[in-house]
Amino acid sequence: MSMDTPLDLLKLNLDEIVFVKLRGAREMTGTLQAFDSHCNIVLSNATETIYELVDGDLKSTTKDSEMVFVRGDSVTLITTPSE
Amino acid sequence: MSSTESRPTASAAFLSNIIGQSVVVKLHNGMLYQGVLESIDGFMNIALNQATEHYETDENGLLHRYDGDVFVRGTQVLYISEA
Repeated sequence: MSMDTPLDLLKLNLDEIVFVKLRGAREMTGTLQAFDSHCNIVLSNATETIYELVDGDLKSTTKDSEMVFVRGDSVTLITTPSE
Repeated sequence: MSSTESRPTASAAFLSNIIGQSVVVKLHNGMLYQGVLESIDGFMNIALNQATEHYETDENGLLHRYDGDVFVRGTQVLYISEA
């Protein structure tokens, strides 16, 4: 049995590209520079994807930032990007 | 030991007993994650392996399959149960 907590396992993703799901149909992809126990995270070369329904069609818009600090309370999930 | 004291012990025992088991995790936003429980801490932060994503119930279509470890933030968790 591993004694590593979920936050310990997150350390393995430092300096790697991560995919972060946020509240309100938003996602953020970028290189994980730092995080803390509140799930405040710092991403570099980040892309935010915002999903919205426009007349019943799913529309997504993206926004790039060189460096972004994401407040922990809007984070729901962190993983490595697939594909 | 009184029965009121034994309850938190039982819940801690449940959480440590299900490590390595296949579990389902429901979030406040209705997303359901099924996967192998890698680790869990006292804040209900959860690490899942081979996770799949569904909305509300796994009878609804598969939304996503995550190849890497998935970190779920504890404050977003509604429940965790054995799959």
